[in-house]
Amino acid sequence: MPLLEIIFNVLVIGLLFVYWAVAFIILYHLTRFGVGVQPKRFAAIFMLGSIILFTVTIILFMKIDINLLISQ
Amino acid sequence: MIRSLLSIFRESTNSFEGQKDDENIVLLLRRHPFTIYIRIGFYVLAFLVPIVAGVMFYSYLSVHNWFDTFFFVSSIWYLGLWLAVFHSLTLYTLNTVLITDRRIIDSDQHGLFNRETSELHSNRIQDVSTHTNGMIETFLQFGDVTVQTAASEKQFVFHQVPRPDKVKDVIMQMTASKHTGVKAVVQ
Repeated sequence: MPLLEIIFNVLVIGLLFVYWAVAFIILYHLTRFGVGVQPKRFAAIFMLGSIILFTVTIILFMKIDINLLISQ
Repeated sequence: MIRSLLSIFRESTNSFEGQKDDENIVLLLRRHPFTIYIRIGFYVLAFLVPIVAGVMFYSYLSVHNWFDTFFFVSSIWYLGLWLAVFHSLTLYTLNTVLITDRRIIDSDQHGLFNRETSELHSNRIQDVSTHTNGMIETFLQFGDVTVQTAASEKQFVFHQVPRPDKVKDVIMQMTASKHTGVKAVVQ
């Protein structure tokens, strides 16, 4: 696997890891400090949306051919 | 079991950390929703960026066959946008004013790791005033509520709360009941 492809994959994985770290912090704050129904609803919607968007991102990531970009 | 799990999204006891056993919440306040709608409006504009970019550069992308990369970059954009929207919503929903039958707790969430909590016991409340400024605040009925305490310099200001006049009445009723010993009935 060429070096650029490895670097690209590592960057994307790092970015997604940062996303889930921040998402965890947001979910923690909503569930721990939230008072009433509203924070719980926000947490549920956020979690559901994150899973859907993350799944779409992974599918699109698998379809990318970095060699096509490099050759251009 | 599923019903009991789903019930947390429909009803809540509004309990909070540090609540005493016989303490009841009279009012839970957040800023008026208009304050978050403005911010969400900017995020809606940001939502349109990949769509507009895709339309503008369609021919360029098709010539180089970069659609997969474009869609992937767009998905990363939307992930970041989703995070930004809920970061704002988290700060909005965690900024609360809790009025109980004993005290007022003002919780200001300035950032995810920046939280300021102030507490004021009802027997230290001296004056309550409201301030509604401008056409938008007047028509949408929100404004600031200022609570003056017994200490001459300390003031609690609750910004952009809905129906500030009603909030003032609730606080005054609560204060009066503390002084007279008669339990206040919030209408």
